[in-house]
Amino acid sequence: MGGVYEGLLVVELADCRNQWAGKLLSDGGARVIQIEPLKGSPARWCGPFVKDKPDANHCLDYWFNNTGKQSVTLDLARKPAQDLLRQLMARADVFLESTRPGTMAAMQLDYASVSGSGGNKGLIYASLTDFGQDGPWRDYAMNDSAHLALGGTMASSGYSDPTVSPMAGKGGQAWHMGCAMVMHGITVALYGRMSSGEGQYIDVGIHDVCAMGTEAAVPHWMYFGETFYRQTGMHANAKRVPPLELPTADGKYVMAVNQGLNDRTWNQLLDWMDEKGVTGELRDPKFQQEPVRTAEYRQGTLIRDAIRKLVAASNAEECFLRAQNMGISWAMIRAAEENYDLEHYKQRDYWRDVEYPQIGRAIPYPRGPFACDDLGNEPRGRAPNLGEHTRQILTQDLGLNDAALSTLVAAGVIA
Amino acid sequence: MSTMTTATADNAAHQKKGVLSGIRVLDFTWKTVGPWAPRLLTHYGAEVIHVERAGGFDDHRFAAYRSITTDDEKPNHVQGSKPWYTDPYFNTLHHGKLAISLNTRSPEGIKIVEKLLTKCDVVVENFSAEVFPKWGLTWDRIREINPKIIYMSSSGFGHTGEWQGFRSFGPTAAAQAGLTLSSGLPGQPPAGWGYSYLDVMGGWMGGLGLMQALLQVKKTGKGMYLDYSVTEGAMTMMGTFMLDYQVNGRRTRRPDFPPGNRAVFPQVAPHNTYRCTGNDRVGQYWWVFIACETQAQFEALCALMGQPQLALDPKFTSNEARVKNQDELDAIVGRWTRARRRYDIMRQCQNAGIIAAVVQSAEDRVEYDPQLHHREMHPVVHHPDLGEVQYEGYPVKMSRTPAYVHGRAPLLAEHNNYVYGELLGISATEIAGMKERGII
Repeated sequence: MGGVYEGLLVVELADCRNQWAGKLLSDGGARVIQIEPLKGSPARWCGPFVKDKPDANHCLDYWFNNTGKQSVTLDLARKPAQDLLRQLMARADVFLESTRPGTMAAMQLDYASVSGSGGNKGLIYASLTDFGQDGPWRDYAMNDSAHLALGGTMASSGYSDPTVSPMAGKGGQAWHMGCAMVMHGITVALYGRMSSGEGQYIDVGIHDVCAMGTEAAVPHWMYFGETFYRQTGMHANAKRVPPLELPTADGKYVMAVNQGLNDRTWNQLLDWMDEKGVTGELRDPKFQQEPVRTAEYRQGTLIRDAIRKLVAASNAEECFLRAQNMGISWAMIRAAEENYDLEHYKQRDYWRDVEYPQIGRAIPYPRGPFACDDLGNEPRGRAPNLGEHTRQILTQDLGLNDAALSTLVAAGVIA
Repeated sequence: MSTMTTATADNAAHQKKGVLSGIRVLDFTWKTVGPWAPRLLTHYGAEVIHVERAGGFDDHRFAAYRSITTDDEKPNHVQGSKPWYTDPYFNTLHHGKLAISLNTRSPEGIKIVEKLLTKCDVVVENFSAEVFPKWGLTWDRIREINPKIIYMSSSGFGHTGEWQGFRSFGPTAAAQAGLTLSSGLPGQPPAGWGYSYLDVMGGWMGGLGLMQALLQVKKTGKGMYLDYSVTEGAMTMMGTFMLDYQVNGRRTRRPDFPPGNRAVFPQVAPHNTYRCTGNDRVGQYWWVFIACETQAQFEALCALMGQPQLALDPKFTSNEARVKNQDELDAIVGRWTRARRRYDIMRQCQNAGIIAAVVQSAEDRVEYDPQLHHREMHPVVHHPDLGEVQYEGYPVKMSRTPAYVHGRAPLLAEHNNYVYGELLGISATEIAGMKERGII
């Protein structure tokens, strides 16, 4: 199938920060060559591993984030390796890297060097780094959780108890946010290049990205000088509010976000409450008036207590389905893997089988955010084994012969 | 972009040159995940026309943030005289856009939507699935009106499948996708995300979809429909855990997950938040995050704490041992940080090559963060009712076609005359008539 990035050649220097962006380019049909150190991308060694046995070719984090890519190993500390990378960059449409600022310049592989006179004018050169290319914290050491701390996610997330530590979610979310932004830059640069024929340099700092991604916290500080309270499982806010994350009968939780209770919804909710024996005084005719029950919900405890009891007497799945069928936007707090069982996503053709000979079967992967055949975003085959394409790319793309390859192996330039 | 930038008062975002200059977007979005996506296009010079219902306004013009999370009485956020466009988050979500009002419940209003569609490259909405078809605007009809147009519907569950009518907000989508359960202490209720992560990141992914579609349409000349499901995007952000389940049968619903701020993959220790001296304006303790991913970092931390012998203690000599004994190790590190100032700890650790980061609040980032200041992430923009106000900037720095913060959020129906008069060529008399009939 085609894809939005079809026909493009992407060269990616392997790194935990940028690999998801490379995957999104591959999902869209680009040919992505990932350059790895001889011992492999750090993302091959973070785990989890197949059966928990560490192996460069069995890392599931790597498997997820590197579908459809080709792997070339190069020891970039050696000059011949730098020259090979330079040759690949001369052919590339997009170059994606996350090295410490200054690293590429030291190898004369920075944007100015590779796009300058006689160079690749059309190259879109994207650096996704912790802090961008300049600034007082530029060289600080970070990881994903550190970004979620420094960038503000943690300050808003955690528990209502002010003595308990702030929290941040797992799964590499700071890196995901950085990748989303660098993909904006790459995609509009490709758009601009169609008219100008010229590429450009893109500098994205993950800290900048995280710091603008905390919704209302920053505007509320800027306008009102408000500091938000963390509140268990829900939005931080300038004042404390009753909980919305409610425990269910089956030991799970429901996110009971309400958007107003119209007559139809209210009466259905009352029937459900009757069934569970938690209606209390809410059959009082005065609550048939929407303004009265709205005021009670906002200021009183009757409706909130009844909802809490209703959820406590119901299973999570029941809460979700019944509420949604009444037009109430409640959710069940699911585990990610529980989504595999849901008919809804099967009906939407969401899962894509990716074959892994290592385990002798296919793994269903998420398709991606958009149901849109015209963009063609989906995984394009399994993640590569370490150095799987080194020989092929050096001979077929760069025209090296066997003797040249042997010399490179002997010199420790390639594996 | 500069901290001293002052945009012109008429908010003519589209008049500044950008790589997407000439692109026009019709923006029916209202809840957070919706407005973010087209807003991103304004940074590149696209003209985004935000539509609000005639005689009313987006509830985001009030404190939508509060209404979503608490259903609280909507407070009047008045600095100037007109409360309906002074909400902080509305100003973030819609900056650089134009605003018009339109009654889409009338056939005449729908006719105007159809006219606008002929003038636009993109139309985007985040209503429930039934709204656009109710207006007669199915995808077939939209592309009949304009075969080159990009239509994106942004919703929690998508516009097909048995849950297509289900309602979703940021917290709903995060809960369903598994993101909420990825944050918190083991054995405690999920801590989740203290804001709608999926409204923010979901909007950024939606924005990427629009940019991809613009690129593709520029190549093919053929319009397209994007059925964007926020929960489907979110699951791709939990991929490692989903594969761990598929291959190893390990679930994220398990007693030791989520692990607080400790590391999962790879398991390293120390890797946690530690209490420091002091607390914020509302009495929440101050914290610093510290992690050692290498032996060298751990030895440097021991030296910095004045306890070099720790690195020789069999309980802590290797990462494996440290992970096993991290309760004890966390207590040791926590005792060291407890009486110290958070920024001192960060600076000292970083100078020794150790990963360390203050848990920064909004105040910390806006007022004290030298990096964000250096990167000009909080530009000042003129607002006619509020004067000069700070905005959150845009973090993509591009050498040839820079992205800008072009302007403030629009006033209510501020651009009716431009859009209906100049763009659609409706006469002033007719516009006045439309206003009288309640169409705009």
